[in-house]
Amino acid sequence: VKVVAAPVVASVCLLLAACGNSAQPAAHASAAAACPAAWQPGWEKLARGIGAPVYCPGWMPNPLDGRIGGEWNGLRLVDRHGGFLVSFIYQETGSGEVHVNFHRWPTTGMPLCRAETSQQKIPCYSEPAGHVRANGIDATLYTVSRDADQWHLSYLWRHGGATYVVSEHVAPPYTFKQVKRNVTRILRSLVLVRPSS
Amino acid sequence: VKLTRKQVLAGAAAGALGATGAYELVDRLAGSSPPRAAAGPLPPEQHVLDGVRTVTDNGVEVVVPPLHHEVVTARLRVDRADLADAGRALEAALADLERRFPPTPAGLGVAVAWGLPYFERFVPAAWRAHAPLDLRAQKDALLVARRFTSDPDSTVLEENDVAVLLRSDHLDHITEAAKSLFDELDLFEVRSIRKGFAGGGFEGGRSLPKQMALAAGVPGAELIPDTAELFLGFTSTQSQGLGPRKIVNFEALGYVDLRSGYFREGTHMHLSHLNEELDTWYQLFDFRQRVDTVFRPGLEVAEGTQTVRQAPADVATRSQVAHGFRSDGTIGHSAAIQIASRLQSDHVADDGKVYRKGTAVPHRADFNTLDNPFFWSAEPQRDGMSDQPSAGVHFVVFNPTSDDFERVRNAMDGVFPGGARIDLRPRDRGQGINSVLQTTHRQNFLVPPRRNRAFPLAELPA
Repeated sequence: VKVVAAPVVASVCLLLAACGNSAQPAAHASAAAACPAAWQPGWEKLARGIGAPVYCPGWMPNPLDGRIGGEWNGLRLVDRHGGFLVSFIYQETGSGEVHVNFHRWPTTGMPLCRAETSQQKIPCYSEPAGHVRANGIDATLYTVSRDADQWHLSYLWRHGGATYVVSEHVAPPYTFKQVKRNVTRILRSLVLVRPSS
Repeated sequence: VKLTRKQVLAGAAAGALGATGAYELVDRLAGSSPPRAAAGPLPPEQHVLDGVRTVTDNGVEVVVPPLHHEVVTARLRVDRADLADAGRALEAALADLERRFPPTPAGLGVAVAWGLPYFERFVPAAWRAHAPLDLRAQKDALLVARRFTSDPDSTVLEENDVAVLLRSDHLDHITEAAKSLFDELDLFEVRSIRKGFAGGGFEGGRSLPKQMALAAGVPGAELIPDTAELFLGFTSTQSQGLGPRKIVNFEALGYVDLRSGYFREGTHMHLSHLNEELDTWYQLFDFRQRVDTVFRPGLEVAEGTQTVRQAPADVATRSQVAHGFRSDGTIGHSAAIQIASRLQSDHVADDGKVYRKGTAVPHRADFNTLDNPFFWSAEPQRDGMSDQPSAGVHFVVFNPTSDDFERVRNAMDGVFPGGARIDLRPRDRGQGINSVLQTTHRQNFLVPPRRNRAFPLAELPA
């Protein structure tokens, strides 16, 4: 199963650059990373909810935006230990899927997932394929991802005793190369949002 | 280099034999052809390709396959009464090719293989008298192809009269041969043309499969290891994983009653096409899992290794395969098939050659392709032709008999000789590469010895 959640059906034209305005914050991505004002309250609320810092994206791939509670927000799962999974997804039959996940685990160990063919626990992310340093983040790119990130390219990094991941599904309309570019751009746009913000 | 759709597509039927499409790029990407040994005298076998170079990779001897491959399948366009004349014409054309090109990768390898429809429709009486019999299976050595457990219902079981396998480092040699045999002779009605490539990465440069997949924009192409011999990332032509020179000959292992001996020094060929889901292979299986499912669970291999030793001493036993499945839920592709593809005991061939226990039997001649599923088809709808390039393999393998091929292919699905089976669902993830392969077409052929390669049995009285 390639798709974790598909809460929103949108017009095909939303995939075209000229359609919609959901990617407008991208225009500012080349400047200093900043959490767009419209998206900031949701990420601040998430940080307060888990009592730990979270990362707000300054840019999201078209047609998504990064507004928690907005039209593209799929999952918003938090646990009592300070972990979360927030997803943003666009999906339409024939047009493709754009799907970005944000995670936090409250430990620095590699997150574990159940193996597909046995009861064993195996790393949720494997096949490291490079590093990116940006905004105080030193992230490793993984090309094999599991569970909610299956089929995704995932950046994983540690901060403040926790593990963070941002990932994007490799699926049309974007190619592998474009998804890699997208998720790298998201990473470079991240802004730390503290619970006290 | 990025291919346009026009470059990927084959031309119309009349021009398809001469068209090279995307595969012209192989010559450009591969640079100069690899050095090859000079040819010796022509072997009596058609399936033996001499002058093949070996290299050492990761301490393992590896055969360097020809860069270009093509298979043309056809039905006959001649009447039974004209078979003898047709045979002389075909033999003359084949002999002419042999005069022009040495029978090596530097020149041209040609193998003419005949399907059951040819023998049963055109020479039925002679076939009944001379057909090789598989003594182990108590069946004919050449059987109608069938679907296997992991094959979809859509797998086409073909009924071609003839298939010609062409192999060379030079695309123009293959093009000339295909034109000579199929355009100029007017003996055949071409049914399909299948093209592809292999190797090219042994000197450390980016391999052909990687470059071709990237150029075609195939999903998952970016994740193919740079020097991989084949799309799936591992080397398949290591010397000890391939059968010795004459082991697949009908007479070599004593599996076959050759009756009159007409087909002595001949063999059996299976031809199939498989789609390969490279994005699934590289995004859902990490290196550890790819090793587990290609070779065997738990095999210790350094990260990134592409050539993994498969010597007789490394062959898995049936109990090891079963144990691996119980502990990991997976079977290794190589480990499973080796139960059927390797000799289970020492064997002395009829020419006195000793083959040791664990020796590989099949001769693999498979090659990667971007055909979807063929370069050209006479029945595009039935064959599911698409203009989008797709990663796949034209699987060409020589075994002593159809049953021998079936034993190996069944083992790949966890069904072993004698009937023991591992409880795997078809294309289960635990089957590893089987879960990312989808067979579209199959057919079995008989490869006569070189002396009888042109319309076999047609010269005999009915």
